[in-house]
Order: sequence, then C-alpha cells, then structure tokens
Amino acid sequence: MSEILIKVENVNKTYQRGGETLTVLDELNLDVPKQDFLALMGPSGSGKSTLLNLMGGLDTPTSGGIGINGVQLDQMNAKQLSNWRSSNVGFIFQFYNLLPVLTADKNVELPLLLTNLSKSQRKDHVLTAMKAVGIDDRSDHKPSELSGGQQQRVAIARALVSDPDILVCDEPTGDLDRNTATEILELLKILNEDHGKTIIMVTHDPVAAESAKRVLHLDKGKLTE
Amino acid sequence: MYWTLIKAGILRKKTRSILTVLSITVAFLLFGLLQAASPIFTGQMEGLRADLVMTMSRYNMMGKLPYSHVEFIEEIEGVEAVLYMDYITSFSQDSMFEGVAVAMGGDIEIYDRFKITEEHQKAFESLKIGALVGETYAIEEDISIGDRLFIKSISMNADGSYDWEFEVVGLYNSSPKVDEMGIVVNYDYFDDSRISDKGTVAAIISKVFNAELSNDISLTIDTEFTNSSWATRSGPESQIAMDMMAEFGDIELIINAILSAVFFTILLVTGNTISQSVRERTTDLAVLKTLGYQDIQIFNMVLLEALFLIIIGVFIGLGISLLSVPVINAASGGMMEGLFFLTTERLLLACFIGLLLSLLSSIIPANKALNLKVVDALRSD
Repeated sequence: MSEILIKVENVNKTYQRGGETLTVLDELNLDVPKQDFLALMGPSGSGKSTLLNLMGGLDTPTSGGIGINGVQLDQMNAKQLSNWRSSNVGFIFQFYNLLPVLTADKNVELPLLLTNLSKSQRKDHVLTAMKAVGIDDRSDHKPSELSGGQQQRVAIARALVSDPDILVCDEPTGDLDRNTATEILELLKILNEDHGKTIIMVTHDPVAAESAKRVLHLDKGKLTE
Repeated sequence: MYWTLIKAGILRKKTRSILTVLSITVAFLLFGLLQAASPIFTGQMEGLRADLVMTMSRYNMMGKLPYSHVEFIEEIEGVEAVLYMDYITSFSQDSMFEGVAVAMGGDIEIYDRFKITEEHQKAFESLKIGALVGETYAIEEDISIGDRLFIKSISMNADGSYDWEFEVVGLYNSSPKVDEMGIVVNYDYFDDSRISDKGTVAAIISKVFNAELSNDISLTIDTEFTNSSWATRSGPESQIAMDMMAEFGDIELIINAILSAVFFTILLVTGNTISQSVRERTTDLAVLKTLGYQDIQIFNMVLLEALFLIIIGVFIGLGISLLSVPVINAASGGMMEGLFFLTTERLLLACFIGLLLSLLSSIIPANKALNLKVVDALRSD
C-alpha cells in the first residue's frame, strides 16, 4: 500500500437552510494514497462535490479533519488555503471554465502569474504542460476557436502547469461526446500512471469511473465501496 | 499579473468598454473646455496682477470718482505710482470706433499689460489729441499711424458738439489680445475738453510696492471714502475682475453644477458597467480564486479595471481639451488668449476627480468580488 496522501477524518459538513440543519457529509472517513485514481460516484445531493471541494481546499468542514501531505486544511484560513491550492492542487471542471478572451496559452499561464517565475520560465512551463496534453499546436487559439475536447485539454494543462500532486476533477467528461471523453480519460490515466498525479474524480458516468483505480459511492453523506 | 486579468476583463465586452471610455472621454472633454473657458465668466484671467490695486465706484460699475481720490491714493504709504482712466463711450453708427475708448492719465507705464514702444509713448505724451490703437483693431480696421479717428460720444465736447477727433500716433499690444480691440487717448485732453463730469475718473489703478500690501491699501482707500457720496470699491486687480464678473451671476456655480451632473452620470454609467462586468464574470472570478488567487487580489483587479477605463477616458478627454486650447485661441484670432486656458491645477483636479470616480464606481462590485464564495459561485454555474 502506498503512502497516504489525503486523510479525511470524521468529517461532517452541514448547512443551515431555513432554520433547518442539512447534513451533507456525515462522519466521513477516507484515505487516499499517493498516485491513486479515485472515482467518486453517487446520486445528486449525495455530497460528492462537497467532499471534492473539501479535498481541494475550496471549503472547510464543519467538523473533523482533512490532512494532505501532513498539512491540515481544516486549520487554515482563506489566504492560507489560496496559497496552498495554487501549488498543490489542479482543478478540472465539467465546463472547462477557461477565460474566454485569453488565448489557450494565456489561460494555462494563469496559475503561474501568482509565482515569481520570469516570463520566459512561465512560457517554458506553459509549453511543457500543453505538450503533455497534446494541445501545444493550439496555443494561440481562444477557447471559442477550440472544440470541447480541446478546451478540456487546455483546462487540464492549466491544472498541470504548476505541477501539483493532486488533480481534482468535477465531471471532466460530462460535456463531451463518448470518443472525446475516452481520450480525456486516457489522458488522465497517463497523468496518473506516468506522471504520478493523484486524481480524484467526481462522475455520474460508470464508463468514466472504470478508468479509475478505485470507485467509491457516496449516498446521503456516507461512503460505500 | 494584474495586467493580464485587467485586459481579460475589459476585452470581454469590447463594445461596452469602448462606449464607457467614450462617455468618460466626453465628460472630461466637457470638463476641460468649461474649465478653460471659466476665466471668461469668472474674471480669473491670466496676467491680472495682485500688486495693482484697482479702485472704482462702489455702487456703479460705470460710476465716477472725483480726481481728488487720485491725489489721496498717491499719498498712501506703499503706493508706488498711480494711473487713472475714464471711458469715452461712442455711438458706433457715427463713429470710426465702436465701443469704449479709454482715456488714460498718470503713470501709464505701470499698466504693463499694454506694450507700447518708447517712440509711440513719447508721441502719445507729446500730442494731446494723440491716440494709441490696439494692433489687432488697427489691422482689422486698416488704421495707420497718422490717421484721424472721429468718435461721436455721449460726452459733450467744449465746442458744444459730441464729436471727438484724435490722431493715431502709435499702436499697442496687449495680453489678452482682446484688449487690443480698443484705443487709448490722453485723459488730460479729454477731461479739459468735456463739459460734463469734469474732474472725474472711472477707475484708478495704483501700483503698490508689494502685493502683500494690496489688501491693506484697498481697505485704507475704501475706509476713507466709506461715508462719502463717492464711496469706492478697491482691491487687487485680479480680485476686482472676479467681483465684477460675479455681479453678472455666479457662473462658476452654474458650471460646477453642470459638471457635477455630468460626473454623477458618469459615476452611474461606470458603476453599472463594472457591476455588470463583475456579475457576468462570477464564474471566471470563482475559477481564479480556485486557481489560488486571493480575495484581495480579485478585489484589486476590479478596482484597477475601473481605474484603467477611467484613466483612458480622462487622458483622452483632457488631451483633446489641451489640444483644443491653442486651436480655439488661433481660431479666435488671438482674442481668447489669456482668457481660454487650462492650468495645471485644473488638470490635477480632473485627475483627482477621475481617481475618485473610479474608486466610487468600483468599490461595491469589487467588494462583491472580494466576498464571492467559490463553492457557491461554481455550484450556481
């Protein structure tokens, strides 16, 4: 068994809605080893996106702990979480979420603008990331000039460019046709197996989930295998 | 970092950004032109001096003062030299000169806004019917040295007529050029020859040793005559000019009211543009925060975006205003010189207004962006 990268311990996440307490995650425990490729499945409202957000450092639990690489995310303030996210986790969304007026390479460069890298160093990093996902020939294209699959590759390059250990993917193939979805899933597998990235992917698609090493199901805030 | 993000924000809706910049440009062009023209309405003309004390009738702009006032003023400590003048109003239809001729006496040279060559000054002093004509007026009316000028005035001449005749002995230049549209004649000749208002002057100008003395000397003069039927109003030339214009109405207040309405509209336009832009980019901003951008960086980005839009508008608007000043001055044949100008203070005021507008228009949307919750924003996507 590989070393544990992400440790979720007794995590509760509740929301107050109209005076009522809504429990989204209920005493949840989860260990994610390094280089895991974990698919989270479950019906809408089961808490899978909430768990993904917690592991990505976008949200904090109501109670319980989330440790990643020895760092307790639940102890961090917003500024610390921002800094942590910028270098430790890459995000891939269902609808790519690229900035429409920026070219592909400028979109990929966005996380690097927060670093002290020089312009030429940033350019090198961007090229490396774009080559890794096979989209370097579209670097000066704007998102509107790219297909869905190409846009998702740009989004993956953006997630990779700062070389994070973890990739958090929220329905990464949800907006793609089957063939393109297969290509993207193949790419994620390569990133997991060849580049050592730990991937956590939320999906509704059982075919997509088959690409993962492990599949976990969430239902009413609790995990099942 | 910020430049990429600002550019992305502004270019997202190019037409809207261009229209916003255009509206800001027009507002600041209006500001620039009204500020440049404001001396015309307020009397804050270039070249008016604080060390020249002007004395005139307290209650009537065209009223008269006895010559004894001149003698009193000459004796006041701190007064270096005194010039006095009266006006010869002409009936334009029957005269070679339209408007008001100025009869000057005393130390004419203290009024150095009027540039007269030594030769012309000597000629003027040596010929009692001599007249100095403004160069612009001379060119316009084709008047040369040696020409005779006939004026039919409301002042009766000693011969019982209303006719006055002068001989052109020289030309003068002045700044502002508008003052070159006149003629200057000898006060002594005019006063000796007229029947009515003899021994009176319309205005007295005293050169004081130090501009700081101007207010005290003005007070001394006005206090001396406060209870007389020849009460005076004195003050530094620069102040009197403003007071005189203020009697026509507070034009500056009207200008400021117009500009306030314009800037308030611009505030709403820019505020709306930035708010709309932030609202449309909720997902983009959430993504940036996801990538590690801090709340304060997003806040600054929105502020800088508004600042950038407004600065472009301010620079273009003021730039066109600045370019318009020499063009308008040239088009007026120099008549507006010294009356139509933009001071550094006014330009700095415009920049300050620009900064204030950008802050006020963007603070609320920037605050919204600051408080945007990534999870909520992405969930609503």
